[in-house]
Amino acid sequence: MMVDEAIRFLSNIPPFQFLDDPLLRQVCGSLAMEYYPKGTVILQQDGAVSDALRIVKKGVVKISLKPKGGGDEVVIDYREPGETFGLVSLMGKRQKTTIFAVQDTICYLLPKDRFNELLGTNPAIMEYLLQFHLTKYADMTSREIQGKSLFLGSSDHVLFTTQVGEICSRSAATVDLSATIREAAQRMVEEKQSAVIVLDANGMPAGIVTDTDLRKKVVARGHSVDALVGSVMSGPVVTVDDKDHCFEVILKMLQYNFHHVAVTREGVLMGVITNHDFMLLQGRSPLAFSEDIEHQKTIEALAPVSGKILNIIGVLLREGARAANIIRIISELNDRIVRKVLEIVEAEMGPPPVPYCWVALGSEGRKEQTFRTDQDNAIIHADCETPDQEQKARAYFGVFAASVRDGLILCGFEACPANYMASNPEWCQSLSTWKRYFSSWVSEPTPEAVLKSLIFFDLRPLYGDESLARELRDHLVQEIPDHATFLGFLANMLVQNRPPIGFFGSVVVERGGEHKDELNLKIKGIAPLVDIARLFALEKGVRHSSTNERLQALRPTHTIVSEYADELEYAFEFITILRIHNQYRQLESGKPIDNFINLDTLSNLEKQTLKNAFRVIIKVQELVMERYKAFII
Amino acid sequence: MGFLDWFFGREVDQAAEASASPVAIVSKARFVVVDTELTGLDPRKDDIVSIGALRMTGGRLEIGGAFHELVRPTAVLDGKSIVIHGIMPSQVAEKPLIDSVLSAFVGYCGNDVIVGHCLSIDLSFLNRESRRLFGAPLRNPVIDTLSLYGWLRNRQVSHPIFSSPLNGLRLYDMAKSFDIPCEGAHDALADAFITAQLFQRFMPILVDQGIHELDDLLRIGNPGMQGENIFAPGGRANF
Repeated sequence: MMVDEAIRFLSNIPPFQFLDDPLLRQVCGSLAMEYYPKGTVILQQDGAVSDALRIVKKGVVKISLKPKGGGDEVVIDYREPGETFGLVSLMGKRQKTTIFAVQDTICYLLPKDRFNELLGTNPAIMEYLLQFHLTKYADMTSREIQGKSLFLGSSDHVLFTTQVGEICSRSAATVDLSATIREAAQRMVEEKQSAVIVLDANGMPAGIVTDTDLRKKVVARGHSVDALVGSVMSGPVVTVDDKDHCFEVILKMLQYNFHHVAVTREGVLMGVITNHDFMLLQGRSPLAFSEDIEHQKTIEALAPVSGKILNIIGVLLREGARAANIIRIISELNDRIVRKVLEIVEAEMGPPPVPYCWVALGSEGRKEQTFRTDQDNAIIHADCETPDQEQKARAYFGVFAASVRDGLILCGFEACPANYMASNPEWCQSLSTWKRYFSSWVSEPTPEAVLKSLIFFDLRPLYGDESLARELRDHLVQEIPDHATFLGFLANMLVQNRPPIGFFGSVVVERGGEHKDELNLKIKGIAPLVDIARLFALEKGVRHSSTNERLQALRPTHTIVSEYADELEYAFEFITILRIHNQYRQLESGKPIDNFINLDTLSNLEKQTLKNAFRVIIKVQELVMERYKAFII
Repeated sequence: MGFLDWFFGREVDQAAEASASPVAIVSKARFVVVDTELTGLDPRKDDIVSIGALRMTGGRLEIGGAFHELVRPTAVLDGKSIVIHGIMPSQVAEKPLIDSVLSAFVGYCGNDVIVGHCLSIDLSFLNRESRRLFGAPLRNPVIDTLSLYGWLRNRQVSHPIFSSPLNGLRLYDMAKSFDIPCEGAHDALADAFITAQLFQRFMPILVDQGIHELDDLLRIGNPGMQGENIFAPGGRANF
């Protein structure tokens, strides 16, 4: 029974899923299970080595490292259910990292002898695990090789090393649901706090009333101060644990756009933390930055704020954040700038004649921007009912889109060289026109049509009436299955862009020109992966726009993805982090930012990992070729 | 230091004896977590229908090598008890008699500490059979998870489970409040597994409370202490 449960779990995760049934049963029979409450140090750096490979069954663990010779702890990675840790420790003689349970965590343990036995009989397991762990460590190692300075001397680490409980010393001001607004306000004055937590009958937070609530909901509306506090509170309250890192809490604040978060210790309310607390702690946090954006009223004032985004990315890189997280934060901040520009321009011009949706396209749509990106955007506006309205709409959006484009340029988003921007009349259309465009693109896939559709398949609504974008996406998802030729066309394009691995397994670089001996990571590495995920997403009608989300969504249903999802994700993660590091180095040394990397600057390990990533791409491309045989020219 | 050196650790082996595990103190102790299914609760006339058990070393629970045997009862299984444990007479007709199952179980336990939830009931049956068969009760040290729970509750441990009003002292109620999955079929082994996970959850909390030695654990886990631990002076048994 316990063995069956373990088999069910392991048969879905690599590398164990590759074992045949009798062997898997045997392996599961030798497992043990351990439980670590949140906050447990499972393995301690420089402590005893692990006697087992651990597979996370439930919970999350954090892997961190304290650099030799001093400096603060650096977070290397997190491991989630289905992932393993302790391999390096198992093979080494000393524990190199500290592994800490971020949540209550349950692990299966594969004992060392049994593991070694398995490696002897199944080299494929070893290969997989090494690759998994190497890729994960490669990023950190490359930094170790390239200079310890990244670890040290940074004053920005606090957000990643400080637990929110440490800076939340104040007790929260609280009132019961039976209190009036006046009483709540009095509590805030007495406690000198900008918010008061409203407790329910069980003493749990039911809602929160902030200064802003008092201003907007009470004073401005002439609401009676003798009314019950429940009538103006906002709820539910976002709560975090006192052991959460500030970084995680800030992400939550950004996500929900809240400024007050309740902090609990072992389930009991401990206090309230505000964005102000973080700003005191850290002058250049992503949150402080987004505050900055929110407060701007003109594009001229917004532009210098936008420039600061680079500082933040530098901080994140130094802190060893994962590529996926860095990209997420960049996207989050860029989105805010774009929305702010739209807001400002809309305020200047007055409301539009018909509802519209501003959509981000291409890498911005996929949330995969790195440092500097072109503008790729479009406007979908509602259908007009009269020619007069149509004329008004055309006039309004023409001026509007041009102002936004210029505003974004001021904020550092360069214009799209191919003119894929809403300011181009072709990219500013009514919903039914867009639908017509699509239908013609997919029914007559000329190279130009395919190119246009590609960028549009990655659309993401950013501002305005999202239902317009949803409807367009629905239309698109419905159209595709009827046009196998179109998918064939995409497949054909995709397999033409083979990663550059030469006959003898070496990476082929540019032979001449400005970028002699260099490799374009975006075109040769990122693009094929993006194209693969997009093609498969279209096959299955998956509506996500980012590469990682697409792969995640396809995992259970798509035969190729279900087999290669992990490899594809690691490949994407690795190439992305290479690209970001490379661009950051270019930026710091004052060079223009591009996607070219000189292979000589990579360590052997990085080169090896890059090759492995390319091999995965080629493998999947071959499967695509097999599947679309009829269409491949 | 190169990557490979880092990776394979070609450095002096430091005999660093770290307290890696949360239950380092009791991590060497060996436990057998047991649950029995009975035809009823009266040791004078009822019988053991099945024994399920698994091994733990400290907080490390062994997935394989569990003990699970159905017993052919001497008396006829009646309808009332079938409703409780769901074992049909036909299922046990071909099974071994209690004598051989108990011998196997005694061998399985060796000298390990026997752990169970509300263990005194299971023990009264196991000891009855043991006396009959070997002339003496089981000699193993014993721990009752219900006693541990009562002790922790009395200590007003800050974990929410011990301060919220009691839902019930039954294994499943307790397991649920610790987020231990209880779905699926319930037999002696499944219940032993749930008990083992409950014990696993208790361990780090007990260590926090200064229970470092096996002797201390045995003292507070004494099945006889169940009532005293829970119905403590001050009457905090609010259920």
